Amino acid sequence: MVKALRKKEVCMSFKLRNSFFFSAVYSITLLFGFAITNVAIAVEEDRKLQIHGFIAQGIIDASGSDFVNDDQDLSFELTEVGINSSYQISDNLRLAGQAVYLNGGNRYAEGARVDYALIDWSAYQSLSSQLNIYIGRYKNYHWLYSTTRDVPFARPSIVLPQSIYFDGFRDIAVGGDGIALSFKHNKEGWGDFDFNLSYGTSIISDKQRKIILSKLSTGDMEHDLDYQASIYWQPQDSQWRFGWAGLDSDFTYDMGKNDSFLDADITLQRFILNALYEGENWEFSGEAFQERFVFTGFYSPYFKQDNLGQGFFVQSRYQWKEKIRVLARYEKFFANKDDKNGSGLEESSFGTIPSYFGYQHDAVLGVSIDFTSNLRLQLEHHWVEGTARLTPVVLPNAAINDEEHWQMWAAQLMYWF
Amino acid sequence: MTPVALKIDVYKDVVINKFIILAVFLLLYSSATNAAEVQAVTHTSVEQLSLSKLELRRIFSKRVTKWPNGQPIVVFVLKSKHPLHQRFSKEVLKIFPYQLDRIWNKMTYSGVGTAPIVVPDYETLISEVKSTPGAIGYGEGITQEGGLHVIQIKE
Repeated sequence: MVKALRKKEVCMSFKLRNSFFFSAVYSITLLFGFAITNVAIAVEEDRKLQIHGFIAQGIIDASGSDFVNDDQDLSFELTEVGINSSYQISDNLRLAGQAVYLNGGNRYAEGARVDYALIDWSAYQSLSSQLNIYIGRYKNYHWLYSTTRDVPFARPSIVLPQSIYFDGFRDIAVGGDGIALSFKHNKEGWGDFDFNLSYGTSIISDKQRKIILSKLSTGDMEHDLDYQASIYWQPQDSQWRFGWAGLDSDFTYDMGKNDSFLDADITLQRFILNALYEGENWEFSGEAFQERFVFTGFYSPYFKQDNLGQGFFVQSRYQWKEKIRVLARYEKFFANKDDKNGSGLEESSFGTIPSYFGYQHDAVLGVSIDFTSNLRLQLEHHWVEGTARLTPVVLPNAAINDEEHWQMWAAQLMYWF
Repeated sequence: MTPVALKIDVYKDVVINKFIILAVFLLLYSSATNAAEVQAVTHTSVEQLSLSKLELRRIFSKRVTKWPNGQPIVVFVLKSKHPLHQRFSKEVLKIFPYQLDRIWNKMTYSGVGTAPIVVPDYETLISEVKSTPGAIGYGEGITQEGGLHVIQIKE
């Protein structure tokens, strides 16, 4: 009975989400239709309409892992294209939407998607405070680089620190369908404060489900709830900015026909601390986090895994010449803080999952060259130890990923307007 | 007149001449510096006649998007590399131009807000601020009679 009710509930929520999805797509299509046919009129209308976009293509080679592709060859699967539009309906209401096409090989589902499609209500304003409420599909505004993880020129590197910005969870972590709130307050003597809250869920595609669980899963994965919050503080006259972010997210898996797996429940809770320093030539940033990953069912009705993972990265960027910026980053990630060398993982899997699936550490060097103010070439090299942030997440592929140490390099040319 | 008195007189003249030259030089130098002083300017509909550097920073970084009377603030800027934009950012807003670019890009490409309007040259900037109600921009050597409000910038 309970199960039937839950199925019904899930079904309804799926329909609701689908209906939201189609209305979002419909709205954005209308928005872009409007944008294209009315550019000239709108420009005269006090520039209420803004259109921007980006296009980026690169080459990437990960040898020793299936991070990009199974055959580990040089790949062109590094494409990111986006177009966005913002239309000011009235003094307090604005429509905004962005559509993107992404191809990152195994990293995330390839294809076009509505990145965000929202109504922005400017609910309160003064010369020291601002409250905005966003309804629709919003982006994750909580982590240091989460808002622009797919915007090539607005992120520090081509591949972001996988400990926090794990590409395998990209479609879930990138945003949600629901409501988000942003309150900016500027207090004399103290500095600038930002408070962000969001509640919403994401649609999990079949490809995303296979990335998280396994290619053998045939059921439906649902994102049931997702609460996120963050606070940022930039002290007055300081080049530093400090932040805290938290998230609580629940998922269910309903087994499909001829499924190799059973029903499952997944809970993901995460706390992040971050800091950013922006000087004239030097920039330092870092994020540290702890996340609880609770996984029940799936293999057997009695299976339960409750791990605390930990990770951090420290990063520096230096403006070497007017058009050249260099980057260095070091990152560590442990899937289970009580099993940092992964020996427990290897033991519990009877040797089928090697211990190096318990961690992933990465050292990165990179350089970006600005040919013009909106054309950039970015290059980077990664030296990686461990394979804990490869996909599929739940059932790792130990056959392909048979090396503890692997390397990756990438080059991407990006243009934006 | 004794030769000594004559010598003193000549010496006096030299000192006075040098002083005049110095005074003229200082005057010219100070007026040149004043002319180059970077200013914040608004459309004449904007009621605020003075703003602190912090308030200006909030306005240009789009943390505040309306004037206290509810009128939307329309921000006009030059390209990031323009010397006047660089000076206004660093000297008045106390923020590096690349930081402003990052804030605006984050808004533009994540849907949370809109970036300022970037104009190609100084003349366009001034004419846009003059003709757009609620507008703010920056300039140099502008007098109050120029059809704009020159904002008194407080520390």
